[in-house]
Amino acid sequence: MNKQYAMVIDSSKCVDCKGCMVACKFENEVPLGFSRNWIKVEEPDFSDPDWMSKKPSSHFQPGGCMHCSSPTCVEACPTGATFRDETNGTIRVDEELCIGCSSCVDACPYGARYKKAEAKIVDKCDFCASRRENDQEPACVDTCLTKARTFGDINDKTSTVYQLLNSESIVTVKNQKTDTQPNMYYISKTAPMNWTKPAEIPTPYRIWSKAANPLVMAFTGLNSLAVLAMLGRQFLDRKNKVQKESSNKGV
Amino acid sequence: MSERNESTLTRRSFIKWAGLSSAATVAGSGVNTPKLQASTTGSKKQKGSIQYAYSVCDMCMNKCGLIARVEDGIVKKLDPNPKFLKSRGMLCARGNAGIDRLYDPDRLKHPLLRVGKRGEGKWKQISWDEAYNLMAERFDKIAKKYTRCGVLFTPGSDMQSTFVHRFAEVFGSYNVTTHESNCLVSRNRAFLDTYGEVPFADLLNTNYVIMSGSNRFEALVTPDSTDLMTAKKRGCKIVVLDPRYTKTAALADEWFPIKPGTDMAFFLAVTHVIINENRFDAEYAKDKLFGLEELREHVQQYSPEWAEKECDISAKDIIRIARELSTAAPEAIIYPGRRSSDYTQSSQIRRSMAIVNALLGNWDRIGGLTATRQVGLSKPHLEEAPFYEDNPDDRVDVDRAPMMFEEEGSFKLIRDAVLEQKPYPVKGWFIYKFNPLQSAANRQKTIQMMAQMDFIVNVDITMSDTAYYSDLVLPSSSYLERTDPASGLQGSSACACVVTRDPVVKPLYESKPVFEILKTLSTKMDLGEYFDFTIEEYRKQQLKKLPNAEKILKEDGVYYNQSKLYGIYEGKIYKTKSKKIELMNTRYQEMGVDPMPVYHRPNMPKSNEFRIVVGRNAYFTHGSTSNYLHLNELMPENTLWMHPKSAAKLGIKEGDLVAVKSSVSEVELKVTFKFGIREDTVYMETGFGVLSKNLSTVQGKGACLVELLEDQSDALTGNMAMHETFVTVQRKGVV
Amino acid sequence: MFNAIKFSIFTLILISMISSPLLAAKKGNGRKGKYLFRKNCRTCHIENGSAAVLSPNSKTQANWTKAFKKDVYSKLKCSAEWEKRKAKDLLDIYTYMHDHAFDSPSPAKCE
Repeated sequence: MNKQYAMVIDSSKCVDCKGCMVACKFENEVPLGFSRNWIKVEEPDFSDPDWMSKKPSSHFQPGGCMHCSSPTCVEACPTGATFRDETNGTIRVDEELCIGCSSCVDACPYGARYKKAEAKIVDKCDFCASRRENDQEPACVDTCLTKARTFGDINDKTSTVYQLLNSESIVTVKNQKTDTQPNMYYISKTAPMNWTKPAEIPTPYRIWSKAANPLVMAFTGLNSLAVLAMLGRQFLDRKNKVQKESSNKGV
Repeated sequence: MSERNESTLTRRSFIKWAGLSSAATVAGSGVNTPKLQASTTGSKKQKGSIQYAYSVCDMCMNKCGLIARVEDGIVKKLDPNPKFLKSRGMLCARGNAGIDRLYDPDRLKHPLLRVGKRGEGKWKQISWDEAYNLMAERFDKIAKKYTRCGVLFTPGSDMQSTFVHRFAEVFGSYNVTTHESNCLVSRNRAFLDTYGEVPFADLLNTNYVIMSGSNRFEALVTPDSTDLMTAKKRGCKIVVLDPRYTKTAALADEWFPIKPGTDMAFFLAVTHVIINENRFDAEYAKDKLFGLEELREHVQQYSPEWAEKECDISAKDIIRIARELSTAAPEAIIYPGRRSSDYTQSSQIRRSMAIVNALLGNWDRIGGLTATRQVGLSKPHLEEAPFYEDNPDDRVDVDRAPMMFEEEGSFKLIRDAVLEQKPYPVKGWFIYKFNPLQSAANRQKTIQMMAQMDFIVNVDITMSDTAYYSDLVLPSSSYLERTDPASGLQGSSACACVVTRDPVVKPLYESKPVFEILKTLSTKMDLGEYFDFTIEEYRKQQLKKLPNAEKILKEDGVYYNQSKLYGIYEGKIYKTKSKKIELMNTRYQEMGVDPMPVYHRPNMPKSNEFRIVVGRNAYFTHGSTSNYLHLNELMPENTLWMHPKSAAKLGIKEGDLVAVKSSVSEVELKVTFKFGIREDTVYMETGFGVLSKNLSTVQGKGACLVELLEDQSDALTGNMAMHETFVTVQRKGVV
Repeated sequence: MFNAIKFSIFTLILISMISSPLLAAKKGNGRKGKYLFRKNCRTCHIENGSAAVLSPNSKTQANWTKAFKKDVYSKLKCSAEWEKRKAKDLLDIYTYMHDHAFDSPSPAKCE
């Protein structure tokens, strides 16, 4: 069965120490000024003059690319550089195909992507692919002060993430207008919830993506017909050839 | 699943099909990442160009175990050592940023000799040979004219600092102090004088914690910071007393914006409730506590109703908390904390905290305060140091405070003595990994102190502010480039362990570890016989009583001593005069010091003033890390935290530049509005407003906290008191 | 006159007893005491040495005060060593041991 890598996070354990952010930057050589991951903060309602006496609390929400099952970033990519890896459910960027148009950056409701200024390609979390090959967990998971993050294959019934998903109440952070089916799950509750933005997929690509398939299918269909016709003709010709043994004429 | 994924004819495969890309082998296989050997065990395993090596972090004092990944000789990533119990297998933001320390472009590379005036920043590169000869000559000169006590030694918190102590001892100076009197000496004093030793807190297993000023979710201490969260998830109640809404306050069950400096009132009132309502174990008290009746009498005046007026916490809440606390006892803790460099009464404030702990009966047991565990290191037997007959009788700060720790003294009181040149002059200074120009209150006084000196040597890794004002600056190797002696760590309920370091990479530039510097210097000063060993030999001797320690350290990066954790004092007497836990301290009485804490209302800011307080965050270690790229980008400059109401009264808007003035100096920085701070209090982070022109990232950013702080100190120990300063704030303009 | 002489001698003895450094409140030089202790006493009073391991924190302050009384130390096995030391040296050593005793403000262990 194919894997589906995902993260299950207990954000109530997060203390906003920024360990995951800095670890990720070193592991993945993220340039200064950008980040592959983040910690969102929800503070008490400071506008309430009595807020101090109401047992105030804050909530810290670690996050990063959600490796969505319905990724709008993939939808927005004109070259197919961004794609969903069917074997493990991660959303990946093929650096050689990326043309740096940044459409995917706008297409992500979570702002999980950024464009590398020098290399002129986009970058985002890949769940630390090279660490996984070395049987290591992603850097953010490994380094965490309170072990708020758990990582694994939710299709593997023996995995911790699977067990958490099936034993705890779980929420995800979604945009109302664009439900990309994120594979980042938060235990019990998390905050803030309403910080995402609707995905922005550029109009030409919308048209293109809506048109492409039919066009390509039509093109392929026609081609296929042509090929069939060609094959059919070859077949017929061969038949004829057999009959006309000594014919010098080619096809 | 979107229909797009099910379709075989995606844009992607179309392009492939059309032959626009040669990377058609994509779908599924790793692109170009080399296959790394799956190995995080063993000290050094090589596969191609990847190596792994153990070390322990040096970005703060916790010494978390780590595994460095070295690719082609470059350290690429620092990961937590999963076998390291004290850190609970984590490595924080600073730990990861150790790479910034190693490859800091601002790193000191060669010995530098000052050529201009102190603080001008003009240097001449010299050779190590020249540096050694110069040091030998100048220290010798000072020794002849001012005795050996004429040289001050300040080793920072480091695994090689023991060798700075050693050098000072054989050189013959009694004037040795560390950063500790800018931090937690007064806390140590108070707990030592109550329990006979300084305890640790078993947060993992406790059910109720009161944190007075402590900010464990930002001021990271291992295992406490992780264990506090684990305990919280388990249902432990956390109560925070802090004038600021810190991240610990934000995650606590209850936060009280206590009036700064009045914590003693709170704890005395809690004592009042516990004693008067008989909420303590009388049998235990009879057996283990000394001075209960005296304490009972003493706290009658400190009712919750009285305390409410002092500390801004209602009597109702004080009573309730005292009851909750004592119900949870003995698995309940008044957290001892660390940095107690706050008030002139800081020792006595901690005494009031220690006393409540004693009444909770939480000493030496699970979920309470625990004693020092046996680690098992041996102190190598070194050649006995000589005695210099012409030396003065004692340290230069002697008798300036009644209860200083003899081998520690007080930095502030030494500074006073140096400035007064009484009882004798101090004219030389050897500084290692210590930066008082960013960490000791009243920066100008430290500059004046340095002006008194004939010769200042500074061994550091960057041109810190203090190095910038020194005469001879020597480049230190970082922790990733060194062999270090073994060090014992107290991990409370996590472990008692031994750590050490071996080089992960070779020393960069001309850097040297301070051991090597001192060993060589000792030969130039006829003291070579006292440094006649290598670190490896020293370490071997340290480990001699621990079976297999050397091997285990190589294999696991840490050695555990499964020594007793709870019940260490069973059948033993306490190291106090009464041989019990002292609620009342008779030695204090004999010395004319209050034997039980007596509340004195701290000085309060006037209506146009604010108290400025000091604190920590998870990304900076005091003044030493703000220049590191990956940490600096988390906070490129410090700002003044101010309550919007207070700001409005002064016509200050968010982001405005303000002049902050104290009785000793003035600085400028921008304002950040914070609802999470008392209206009478302001705050700024440490580590900015640097003087050094060789800290390129943080140069010109923010303002220096210690420039503003008055140098008051704890009456008993001389510990710096950094929360007693009042400032005015004035708008300067929009930036 | 003979009485006067007797009286003077008696007074002198009394004074010398009172001013005996070990009973007087006069303080010795603890730092020198540390050096003297390590140089003279510790050679035996050390691990694998010929006598019990001793450090300042091996005893309480009261115990050290007792130990440094002549009638107590003269009964020790190493009393000869004690006799060799000048009174000032003994005071210095006592000051060091007492000030860093088990229950002192700065307990110290020789390691």
